[in-house]
Amino acid sequence: MSRTRISSMAFASALAVGLMILPLFPALAQEKAALPTTTQAKPTMAKICGNCHTPEQGSFRGYFESVAYKTQSIQIRMDDAVEILSFDKTALKVQNVKAENPDEALRSIKAGKEVRVQYIEKDGKKFATLVVAKPAIKVALDKQLKTEDVEKLVAAGPEKGKYMLIDCRPAPKFMEGAIPTAINIPFPAFEKNIDKLPKDKNALIVYYCAGVT
Amino acid sequence: MSPSSAGRAEKLGYTNIKVYHDGLPEWTKKNSMVLTPQFLKVAFMDKDIPHVLVDVRSGENAKKGFIKGAVTMPVAELAASIVKFPPKEKKPPIIIYDQNDGSDGKSAARALTAAGYTSVSVLTGGIDGWLKAGLPVQTGSLETNIVYVPKLRPGEMAIDDFKKIVAGAPADMLILDVRNRDESGAGMIKGAKNIPDEDILDRLAEIPKDKKIITYCSTGVRAEMAYHKLKEKGYAVQFVNAKVEINGDGKYTIERP
Repeated sequence: MSRTRISSMAFASALAVGLMILPLFPALAQEKAALPTTTQAKPTMAKICGNCHTPEQGSFRGYFESVAYKTQSIQIRMDDAVEILSFDKTALKVQNVKAENPDEALRSIKAGKEVRVQYIEKDGKKFATLVVAKPAIKVALDKQLKTEDVEKLVAAGPEKGKYMLIDCRPAPKFMEGAIPTAINIPFPAFEKNIDKLPKDKNALIVYYCAGVT
Repeated sequence: MSPSSAGRAEKLGYTNIKVYHDGLPEWTKKNSMVLTPQFLKVAFMDKDIPHVLVDVRSGENAKKGFIKGAVTMPVAELAASIVKFPPKEKKPPIIIYDQNDGSDGKSAARALTAAGYTSVSVLTGGIDGWLKAGLPVQTGSLETNIVYVPKLRPGEMAIDDFKKIVAGAPADMLILDVRNRDESGAGMIKGAKNIPDEDILDRLAEIPKDKKIITYCSTGVRAEMAYHKLKEKGYAVQFVNAKVEINGDGKYTIERP
C-alpha cells in the first residue's frame, strides 16, 4: 500500500515535469509498446453513442472494459477498437458511481458499462483525468403513464385524446399484437421516422415497449 | 427502448413526452391488443406460428365466409366456452374477429382477458376488414374444437437442448450473448461471447462461420432478431426464445416467456 502511494506520488511529479515516466513504470511502458500505435483513424466514440453525442477533443465515449491497478491503466472499447489509458489515481475523478474513493469507484464500474473518459496527452501517452459512468436511463415519475392513463387515452382515441402512441419494439413483435391506436417506430429506426412524429412540438407523445428492456 | 426513444424525441424539442414504462406486459393483463388482417397473415399464418383464431359471429353468419383455421364460438356462448381454450399458462396467442370490429369482438376479448389470457388480440376491421384487404375466406362448417399445439418458432432451440449445450460446451458451437454490454457485464452464460444485437452486422468478423451459433438475450426478442441477421449472412444459427436470468457466477435460470 505504502509503495503504491510513493510511486503514485513520484508518478504525479514525473507528470508535472513531463519526464522520467518510462523508467519508473516499466510494466506500463511494456504494455503500451505491445499495443498498436494510435492513429487518427481510430474511433474516439462507440457507434451507438453517436445517436446522442458528437465526438469531442480529449475524450472517449465507449464501453468500460477493465481496470488494471498494477499498471494503473483502464481499457475502453469503442466497438472493435480498444484504448488503454493510464491514470494517476490521485488525480483521477470518477463520476456517477457510488464509491468513497477512486479505487473503489473504478472497481464498481461493470465491464460493458457506457462511460465517457476525459484525458490529457503527455509524451504521446494518454492519461485519464475523468471517468463518467452513463447514468441509468430513468424516466421521471411525472413523465410516466400508468395502465389506467393509457386506457383512458385509448378509449378516447388519438383525435379526441390528442395523443400519438408509439410502440418502440421491433416490427415483427408489433405485428403480433399491439396496444390499440399505436403506431410502430422501433427504437433503432428512430432517426429514419422523424417525419412520422407530430408537427406540433407540444403534442402528447406516449412511448411504450415490452416493459423494462 | 421506450425511455431511449423518449429521450431522443425530447432532444428534438418535443415538450410533452410520456413513457408507459410498464408497457405491453402490464397492458395485456387487463386489456386486449389489436392486429391488422395483413399482420395476422404475415406474422402468424405465413410463418405457421401456432395461435387460436376465433370467429365470434353467429354460426350462421360464420359459415358464409370465414378465415381458414378459425373456430366458431359465438360471443353469446363464449363465457361458457372458456373451458375449451388451452390452459392460460400456455399463453396461447388468441385472435378474435367479428363482422366489422364492433362490440362483439371487444366483449369476447374482455371475457378472455378477464379469464387470465394475456395474449388476446382483436382483428382490426373484423371479417369485413379481412375481405377488404383482399384476403381469402372459406365457406362451410367451421371447427368447433380448439387445437393448439405450441411449437418452436423457426430457428428456435428447445430450452432443454440449450441447457445440454451449456453443460457440454461442444467445440463446434458458439453461444452468443446478444444483450447490451452492461447486461452481459453483470454475468453471462458460461462460455458465451457477447456481441450486442445492434452491433452484430458490424462485428461479423468476430463470429466464426465454421461453428453453429446459438443466440440468447434476456427475453428472446433480441435473440430472434440476431438469429435473422446471422441466418441471412449464411450462418448456421438458432436462438433461445426464453427469459434468461444470469447471476455473476454464470448460474442461470431459463423459462418460456
